[in-house]
Amino acid sequence: MFKNYLKTALRSLFKNRFYAVINIFSLTVGLSCCILITLYIAHETSYDRFHTKGNRIARVIMEYNFGGGSTTTGNFTSTKVLPAFKRQFPQIEEGVRMHQLERVIAYEDKLFTEKKVMFADSTVFDLFNFPLLQGNPKTALSGSKKIILTQSTARKYFGNTDPVGKILFISSTRTPFEVTGIMADIPVNSQMRFDMLASFSSLEANQERTYWNANYTTYLMMRSPDDIKTVEAKIPGFIKEEMKDQGSVHLTYFLEPFFSIHLQSPYDSFEPNNNILYIYIITGVALLILLIACFTYINLNTARSLERAKEVGIRKTAGATIKQIFVQFMGESVVLTILATVLTVITVWLLLPLFNQLTDKEIPISLFYSKTIILSLLGAVLIIILLSGSYPALIVSRFQPIKVLKGSFARTSSGNTLRRSLTVFQFGISLFLLVSTFIIQKQLHFIRNKKMGFNREQVIILPSDSKIMSTIGVFRAELKKIPGITYVGRAQHSPHNIIGGYNMRSAQMPSNAQLNVKADPVDEEFIPAAGLEVLYGSNFSEKDIANVQDYTFDMDPALKNFPFIINETAARQLGWEPSKAVGQKMFLDDTRPGYVKAVIKDFHFASIHNPIGPLVLFPTQWSSILLVKTTKGNISTILAGLENKWKELAPHRPFQFKFLDDEFNSMYTSEIRLGKVFNIFTGISILLACIGLLGLCSYAAQQRIKEIGIRKIMGAGVTDIIRLMSADFIKLSLISMAIAFPLAFLSINKWLQSFAYRIDINWWLFGLAAVIGLALVLFTTGLLAARAASINPVKNLRTE
Amino acid sequence: MIQLKNIFKWINTGSNRVFILKDINLEIGEGDFVSIMGPSGSGKSTLLNIIGMLDEASEGQYLFNDTDVFSLKEKQRSQLYKENIGFVFQAYHLIDELTVYENIETPLLYHNIKQSERQAMVADILDRFNIVGKKDLFPSQLSGGQQQLVGIARAIVTKPKLLLADEPTGNLNSSQGEEIMELFRKLNEENGTTIIQVTHSEKNAAYGKRIIELLDGRVENK
Repeated sequence: MFKNYLKTALRSLFKNRFYAVINIFSLTVGLSCCILITLYIAHETSYDRFHTKGNRIARVIMEYNFGGGSTTTGNFTSTKVLPAFKRQFPQIEEGVRMHQLERVIAYEDKLFTEKKVMFADSTVFDLFNFPLLQGNPKTALSGSKKIILTQSTARKYFGNTDPVGKILFISSTRTPFEVTGIMADIPVNSQMRFDMLASFSSLEANQERTYWNANYTTYLMMRSPDDIKTVEAKIPGFIKEEMKDQGSVHLTYFLEPFFSIHLQSPYDSFEPNNNILYIYIITGVALLILLIACFTYINLNTARSLERAKEVGIRKTAGATIKQIFVQFMGESVVLTILATVLTVITVWLLLPLFNQLTDKEIPISLFYSKTIILSLLGAVLIIILLSGSYPALIVSRFQPIKVLKGSFARTSSGNTLRRSLTVFQFGISLFLLVSTFIIQKQLHFIRNKKMGFNREQVIILPSDSKIMSTIGVFRAELKKIPGITYVGRAQHSPHNIIGGYNMRSAQMPSNAQLNVKADPVDEEFIPAAGLEVLYGSNFSEKDIANVQDYTFDMDPALKNFPFIINETAARQLGWEPSKAVGQKMFLDDTRPGYVKAVIKDFHFASIHNPIGPLVLFPTQWSSILLVKTTKGNISTILAGLENKWKELAPHRPFQFKFLDDEFNSMYTSEIRLGKVFNIFTGISILLACIGLLGLCSYAAQQRIKEIGIRKIMGAGVTDIIRLMSADFIKLSLISMAIAFPLAFLSINKWLQSFAYRIDINWWLFGLAAVIGLALVLFTTGLLAARAASINPVKNLRTE
Repeated sequence: MIQLKNIFKWINTGSNRVFILKDINLEIGEGDFVSIMGPSGSGKSTLLNIIGMLDEASEGQYLFNDTDVFSLKEKQRSQLYKENIGFVFQAYHLIDELTVYENIETPLLYHNIKQSERQAMVADILDRFNIVGKKDLFPSQLSGGQQQLVGIARAIVTKPKLLLADEPTGNLNSSQGEEIMELFRKLNEENGTTIIQVTHSEKNAAYGKRIIELLDGRVENK
């Protein structure tokens, strides 16, 4: 019996290769998408779970403002928080302060820039599960100038020789650090992924002086998970007591459970966070794609079942029961689904690297063999078999032999309604995605082409250090000798993303009325290099910069007089018309009294998610980057020239460069990624929807084959038939549009709201989607209708 | 074997009731060979389908070997059908995806017959019908007459007591038709199979021991 079923199934599949292939294809696509997304979700939700004490750990979040000013909240704390809290709250068992920096590291002839050098208290191993392969976790980080390497970093510097006890030289100062241990490489699903771990005391940060100077991350480990809430509730009272001498200053702290940081915190960890919202969206998309695949399958199979109606009739007259027919057709679904599952496993295995690239993740293939993934694959397969296999099997097994053998198929309208709803649903999803994609792409285009108010092209960023800055005059003069280089400006932050947080006030404002402001210490060539427009006043002079060199930290602020360059927004916030601001007195952080030297035009110095805020540029003696403006020309020659000069002038530091344009784009990675993801899913869903439509249409064509034959005998041409057949589907797609477009409008509008600067949603975008949708419907149905119409009508009618 | 009492069959089209069969009373004994004749639309096929348990009457009683067919449950009826009836169609109705051998084997599968036995039964039929050489061919590779031979082979492989044939020669030329009719006569005489056939042709009807003429749903003569 089984052999007979299998034989019929395989031969019938082979005979209808076209259907079998698109059927298996659509199932494979649906399942693969689903599994890849499940992998992604499994990966994202597994973050940090390897820390066994993680549920007792919390990150400290700081919130402050100065009197009437705006409030700042962030994942930073001063060094004092940990010792003070630990003394005050017995619930805190242990804690660790961490700070990640970029450092130049030298060992013998090797010289690398290490992007992720972590400084941490020796207690780091009490909180986190970072196994040491060599060295003692109790002592490895106690004491200054100690460093632990990860296995792969150790290999990079020391090859196969034992690194423990060796000395690495760090920073341009070439400070010696002793290697005291080797730790396993950090798993990819970790919110911190440093390559080196140095003792916190090496930073020589003051231990307890102030709650300000908040540059560090503090993690606290409680005695029990519930203590997180208890301690958090007590913090405001404690801090109020601590700050009672500081007047109207508001300062408090929150505690974030460690496990919720990666997906739920608005504040990044050492590695970028993900947004739980995106996880929900993508889960929804996965389910939608799976549903679409199932619906396609149902539509195709029901259509195909008509072709096998005769077989069912014969089998029934040969004595088969409804149950036997049902089992036979279910069996075929199982065969198809198993084939698709095998293909899915292969596809996922092949596509994972590409998918990783798309999502910018390092999801290991080993995750595929985990229980969650295997269970969800089995679950999806079961859903497909039950949902999509049973419906056609049910329909087929109810065929009445005398009717099907006569060639008149059961024309039940109930089944039609279901299949039409499925099509409307599928098509609706596709149109929804199509419109969303259009708008996302338009917004991305808008971001890329919006005038930011600064030069993005032909600007090279060179990370540098204090050693280079100490001889900047010579350095700059040498760089400018390279043909094509026009300006070399200094700054702490690149103009595309100025993040330094300061406070400002005008001389007229009381000292407790501080305004939050972003500020960037720069020199006289920054403004021309960045291409900023000075509206009133003039740029810094060499003399301005030179004067500031003499200001020391301990000097009486009253003796200092800084020239400031502010943007229009800052001028207005300080209470001046931009045109009248020049010459006004103001303070930056109260330690820097000065006057407004110039007002520059507002430009986007942060992501356009936010409106342009106030900005102050002030002269500096310390900066971390050089901004090199080049003329249009051969960029590779310029880079080669830069590298040569660099090696000659700054042999202590490897030559590194970034293009401002790339850095700018990287601020919108998550949007660009969303755009790509939508492109792909839209493509897939449209493809699947068309396949489903093809199924439904061929079903309709078969049902109406007699009608078509009669109409042709009455003189209808092929185009008449196509029109007849398509009208129905056009109606269905219009219904889909009526449902999908308002939903798309609402949800995409919500996404756009997250941008302070955004496109308007144009109605023609919906029109375009509608036209594309209708064109696809016409194409798919037209294809089949044309085929149905070209069959000799005598053939169709003879069966009656 | 078959007793039809006051069989009516109608369909409702709108408010009209169209009668297909009107008050059919019929008795067919075991070993009989009956030809049903009549013009198109006289209800021949419907009658055959009712006898073959593929269709139900709107009214009346049908006794098959003294069992009241209409009062049976679906399951019992298909059991009764399976054990007793074989069907031959005008359009042969072979499963295109299966070979001659497999087509003949299909009903045996639904009768839960063991494989070795199935092989013997199919081989026996193939031999009797002289189509051993064709057993691995697919229906599309056969002529119409050959396809109908396979159709008959399939219908009788389960050794049904009653063979129903709906215009078995309708799609065949006259010599092929004669061949099939000879086969029917042989089956009836040698195996004692009861045969009821619907036909248009006087010549083929004459192979039957008895001719029933239908006109507008009524039996004209017996």
